[in-house]
Amino acid sequence: MALKQISSNKCFGGLQKVFEHDSVELNCKMKFAVYLPPKAETGKCPALYWLSGLTCTEQNFISKSGYHQSASEHGLVVIAPDTSPRGCNIKGEDESWDFGTGAGFYVDATEDPWKTNYRMYSYVTEELPQLINANFPVDPQRMSIFGHSMGGHGALICALKNPGKYKSVSAFAPICNPVLCPWGKKAFSGYLGTDQSKWKAYDATHLVKSYPGSQLDILIDQGKDDQFLLDGQLLPDNFIAACTEKKIPVVFRLQEASIRKL
Amino acid sequence: MEEESGEELGLDRSTPKDFHFYHMDLYDSEDRLHLFPEENTRMRKVVQAEMANESRGAGDGKAQRDLQEEVDELVHLYGLEDDHELGDEFVDENIPRTGVSEYPPYMMKRRDPAREQRDWRLSGEAAEAEDLGFGGWGSAGQCQDLREAYRYTHGRASEEYECYVIPEEEDEEEAADVFCVTCKTPIRAFQKVFDEHKEHEVIPLNEALESAKDEIHKNMYKLEKQIIEMENFANHLEEVFITVEENFGKQEQNFESHYNEILETLAQKYEEKIQALGEKKKEKLEALYGQLVSCGENLDTCKELMETIEEMCHEEKVDFIKDAVAMADRLGKFLKTKTDVEISAQPEFEDQTLDFSDVEQLMGSINTIPAPSAPVINPQVPNSATGSSVRVCWSLYSDDTVESYQLSYRPVQDSSPGTDQAAPSPPIIKTKEIRSCEEAVLICWESGNLNPVDSYTVELTQAESPEASGVTDSASLYRSVVGIPTCESVVQLQPGRSYIIYVRALNMGGPSVRSEPATVHTIGSYFRLNKDTCHPWLTISEDGLTAVRSERRTPARELSPSDTHFTRCVAVMGNLIPVRGHHYWEVEVDEHLDYRVGVAFADVRKQEDLGANCLSWCMRHTFASSRHKYEFLHNRTTPDIRITVPPKKIGILLDYEHSKLSFFNVDLSQHLYTFSCQLHEFVHPCFSLEKPGCLKVHNGISMPKHVTFY
Repeated sequence: MALKQISSNKCFGGLQKVFEHDSVELNCKMKFAVYLPPKAETGKCPALYWLSGLTCTEQNFISKSGYHQSASEHGLVVIAPDTSPRGCNIKGEDESWDFGTGAGFYVDATEDPWKTNYRMYSYVTEELPQLINANFPVDPQRMSIFGHSMGGHGALICALKNPGKYKSVSAFAPICNPVLCPWGKKAFSGYLGTDQSKWKAYDATHLVKSYPGSQLDILIDQGKDDQFLLDGQLLPDNFIAACTEKKIPVVFRLQEASIRKL
Repeated sequence: MEEESGEELGLDRSTPKDFHFYHMDLYDSEDRLHLFPEENTRMRKVVQAEMANESRGAGDGKAQRDLQEEVDELVHLYGLEDDHELGDEFVDENIPRTGVSEYPPYMMKRRDPAREQRDWRLSGEAAEAEDLGFGGWGSAGQCQDLREAYRYTHGRASEEYECYVIPEEEDEEEAADVFCVTCKTPIRAFQKVFDEHKEHEVIPLNEALESAKDEIHKNMYKLEKQIIEMENFANHLEEVFITVEENFGKQEQNFESHYNEILETLAQKYEEKIQALGEKKKEKLEALYGQLVSCGENLDTCKELMETIEEMCHEEKVDFIKDAVAMADRLGKFLKTKTDVEISAQPEFEDQTLDFSDVEQLMGSINTIPAPSAPVINPQVPNSATGSSVRVCWSLYSDDTVESYQLSYRPVQDSSPGTDQAAPSPPIIKTKEIRSCEEAVLICWESGNLNPVDSYTVELTQAESPEASGVTDSASLYRSVVGIPTCESVVQLQPGRSYIIYVRALNMGGPSVRSEPATVHTIGSYFRLNKDTCHPWLTISEDGLTAVRSERRTPARELSPSDTHFTRCVAVMGNLIPVRGHHYWEVEVDEHLDYRVGVAFADVRKQEDLGANCLSWCMRHTFASSRHKYEFLHNRTTPDIRITVPPKKIGILLDYEHSKLSFFNVDLSQHLYTFSCQLHEFVHPCFSLEKPGCLKVHNGISMPKHVTFY
């Protein structure tokens, strides 16, 4: 698969690059950002996948988060894909900011007109890692995933649906229980139809209840004053209760103020 | 609009411009002009309705003139001369949010002429009142009217008024309320769907505002930092400045003295040389003078002879022959004497090479640094020597420039020990109180002697070495620390080894035999729970690693406060070796136990709970109603943290270097929480049991790999 480099900038001794490629899963051109730390010049580094939230592109994380210094110091390759397929000209994809463009919800859609292009789950868990492993100095055995809000939801479900694939998973203000919150209901009914059993396959709280697999180490940070928390969009309590019961190790930190700036 | 109002009012055509309502929004005038004709019409209609009752004969010359004056006055007042639009017309009262406070009086005044015009025909009294109120707010009744007009024209939400206009909604549509990040401009929400901004990212205006503020604050912060940096730099420069002066002074002095020395030497040489020359001259002159004198004598004698001969020639023959013989004798004698015609002294002075070697030496030495003064050796301090090494310290003068030191030594004869005193008995190491970490061990012992001893010696051997077992040969010694005045010592060690320790006592009679050995392992940190700090309800096991709180009824009275043991928190402290670096230990707890584990300074107030003050940090677990609650307490505050799997073994890492205290779930290698703590003094591990139960400390564990990341 051919990668076209769009930009490359030096940052804390490493390189922040953006590439474009033709995605097979999503049937369109997709961009993603990759940060290569100084250590990557001499050896393979662990890969950390960042999933952004609603309305974001591959640019938000790399311009706003300031993660480069840590990534450089710790020798991590950080990959930030886009949040949905782009330019597919599907009717209705730009009608709202929380569904369609910029709101892929990291699922594989089964409903028309979305199912051809909106396959972000497969993109993030299959196509993108294969692409990265083949083209960049990463250690395929050491992969972790993290994200914010919708990306937090994405990180949690990718880890829970693929036991052992990720060494760690962290999330900032994630959507923990989408089948019960307005965002999730809207997105899932649009992408997956009305059969709620299909929804559960992409819901972190439900996935935890039947998680069979190897040990996971989950860290969640949540802003106390986050408006979406107060609006019942995130529902972390449900997730924690499920993890407590299933004895999945989670450390959940409720921080002062909101961290919803990405 | 004009025509409409004119018709409805039935006014003279000569007063065409009474009630023109234009948006007076100085910030956004152009757009608004045509947008809401309906509203104006509506408002105007109400006005008309009000006026409908009046006679329509208003608006003759006088009113018009007054009106015009009023208009001019207000125009002037508000500096609106340039605004032609307003010069002639009245201003619309539909003013949006900004500048609201300014406009009402204006509007009201604008209204007044209208009212005046309307009421003019009514009663003279009313008219007068109007007149009076023209410049101000006038009588109460009029005020009421005006207030109505005011509220009305402002369109404020009020159920009292029938014809209620809501300008705010429309205003909001117009105003920017979202921020297009891509274009970096505020736009209206509906613009988002337009082509220009279609693909762009938008965020609410407030957020944009906040992030702009953040940017500015960040930059301000940077500026502040820069200010501080520059100030520091300026201070530094000053210091350097002063140092330059000082150094200059020193150099100047040095050079001056050298230079003077050279000058003196040269002057001296000059004097000597001149003197020598002078003497030489004198010598020569004297020699020459002497010659000259003898020369003169010679000449005189010659002349005399000559004269005598001449006289003789004139004598009679007989006399002449007599004299001639005598003269011939004399002449013969005279001429035989040699005349020295050699010049005794040469006129030239010999060339003498001047010896300037000492001056050259001085000149050369002007560039050399003076030799430093002799250092002074400090007296030997106790604990500074071992069997094979000694620590020497000395001091130097600050004016000296020193490149290196040379140390030499020679053994001196030991003073022979007094034969009448017996060597002391060996001390007894308190093995239970040994504390160690990866880099050092703290040993203490009992003297083992009734009489005082002069000092103690600690000897260590490495446990792996074959000679270690019981051989007292000092060749197998790893370290030996001598001159220890008290019954304890901290010895530095290598990590990851095992050592065997002995102690000897020393007095004038010589050293004692070795004490019984004690073993130390430099893996992880070793400490024991200190019974002296233990709350009375806790029992500490024999090995000092388990604390038990048994069921008991609480006594009626409170425990009196103490400085040494805990009286409120049922806690105990461990004795950690007072060495910085990092320490790691683990605590085994029961899932249902209520406990606190952490660290505290030695002088933490024992009447308070752990974590309730700023001298202690701890992780607290409470189990109630089947729920596990975790807190990380310091100074009574804790972050809000939830942990889904309760740890059974807690790993605690104390890192002095990075000022951090971290807690881990050992079985899951899971990091729980890290405090950043200022550790200006040494801290000790603390443990407390809030309900009956027990906890066990595990020591001597080397730091697990996952712990090192924190």
